[in-house]
Amino acid sequence: MNLHLFVNEMRLQWYEMRQYWFETFSGLIFITCLFLGLFYGIKGFALEQGDGQSLDGLLFGFLLWTFASGAYGSVTKSVIEDTQKGYIEQLFLCPNGFISLMLSRSLSESFVGLVLLTAIAYVVMAITGNWLDINLAYFYGILLLSAPSLVGFGLMISGLALLFKRVETIGAFLTLGLMGLVALDGLPLNVFSFLPFVPGASLARDIVLEQSPLRLDHLMIVIANSFVYLVGGIFVFRAFEKQAKKRNLIGQY
Amino acid sequence: MLAVKDLCKSYAGESALSNVSFSLNRGEVVALLGANGSGKTTTVQSICRLIEWDQGDITIDNVDTRTSSTFLKQIGAVLGGCRNTNWRLTAKQNADYFARLRGFSGTSIQQNIEQLHSALGLDEHAKKEVMKLSTGNKQKAALLSALSYSPDFVLLDEPTLGLDFNTVNDLQLIIKERAQTAEQGFLVTSHDLGFIDKICDRVVVLDHGQLLFEGSLDTLKARLFKYELNIELNQPIDVSILNDLWAGRFDLQTDQQTIKVNYESPEQSLKMLHYLHEKNIQPLLLQIESLSMEKAYQTLVQQKDSK
Repeated sequence: MNLHLFVNEMRLQWYEMRQYWFETFSGLIFITCLFLGLFYGIKGFALEQGDGQSLDGLLFGFLLWTFASGAYGSVTKSVIEDTQKGYIEQLFLCPNGFISLMLSRSLSESFVGLVLLTAIAYVVMAITGNWLDINLAYFYGILLLSAPSLVGFGLMISGLALLFKRVETIGAFLTLGLMGLVALDGLPLNVFSFLPFVPGASLARDIVLEQSPLRLDHLMIVIANSFVYLVGGIFVFRAFEKQAKKRNLIGQY
Repeated sequence: MLAVKDLCKSYAGESALSNVSFSLNRGEVVALLGANGSGKTTTVQSICRLIEWDQGDITIDNVDTRTSSTFLKQIGAVLGGCRNTNWRLTAKQNADYFARLRGFSGTSIQQNIEQLHSALGLDEHAKKEVMKLSTGNKQKAALLSALSYSPDFVLLDEPTLGLDFNTVNDLQLIIKERAQTAEQGFLVTSHDLGFIDKICDRVVVLDHGQLLFEGSLDTLKARLFKYELNIELNQPIDVSILNDLWAGRFDLQTDQQTIKVNYESPEQSLKMLHYLHEKNIQPLLLQIESLSMEKAYQTLVQQKDSK
């Protein structure tokens, strides 16, 4: 990953968000409405049970899921959509390498996603009057630390997309599967800790929502999870990329 | 210099390129010619390392392109089928994005983009995203992106596809001007031999993945036939005598009642016509055609196939 690639990807996002302002605006409205719909849908049920915690958990879980979908989708969306839109070959001509470019794109999209998500969260909290006490520094830090696992996982699926092209169904299934991932508890170390992003989501819930103290062993699990999935993703993507180049499949759709 | 040496590539045991070698110098315009499936696009994609080839080397200034991907800073490419730009951005934004992707930015790059944008006639479409442009203007946008950072070598795969006459003329002028003033080397694949004729210094001809010809355009032209004589007869003739009726360089294809001859100068056909007259042979069809460069080039490939 390079700074000039990161800045370039930020510019690309800015161009697209500005030019397609209606799409950007309606997307933000859609997520906000989804947030509100879920909130009011669950509110009655949670209050009936006298369980205010589940309402906070829901809001926080939705934040995590939205972030996770964005981080995972930043790579897969690029490979699948840019193949269809037709300029993926030009992205492969990046002197820093396609993976470097995708990592820069992921980071820039995650960065912008976090900013927008925070804004939406505050709008929703203001509308609903249900204020979560979120430590933003911890929230951003943990999510950015755990996002590489999703990027690595996205690289694995993108590698498949290079060879087999039509993987949207798997992609849609996995995006829904992320809902399950953010709900699982991967801390302390258990079988779920080996799934992508699960330890990160758990740590974010523990630290940011429940305001538990930060434990080093938990942090190490999150870092290890991210590292293994990212390295694994790069390895798998490179293997598929090599096959795609041997069979002349880059860009063919 | 960009050099392709003994390049070999096969798919599922079928050869797509076999020992192809040629070079491209800065400031030179080289055409890569060949029919569909001859290996032109495979060659261009190999140079861009979008394909893993089996054997051979591709070097830029004697540095193997497989050792590092930094050579991509020296390469600009317009690949076939409008697969070159982000359709959601304008032509200028695309040029800016792809220049920065290669690590180039700054005032000189912006000036270059502005200048090319005008030269390509894109100013009137400055605010339109690429998806709203015509095929010809999409191709211009792709060219703008490829030239935006003034790469040493520019690869253009079928750049005239879908372009109108005026746009092809503009493209010729830009390629010539960039080759001469900016010392950029161009490798152009095209079926449009009229286009190639006007801009190229050298020609590389591929056929079924093999190098059929490499040399100057004049040398290629000298090897091409200029005329084609077609005769259909209403009675069989003794074909064994036909070869003796032709002098100089010619290619004769015949069966009992049809004769097709490619040849170089009009007087070569006189002896044949005299023979038909003398023997009172009435042709059903007698046609002499001056060959266009496209047709002449096809005869070169056919000669190779018939050998």
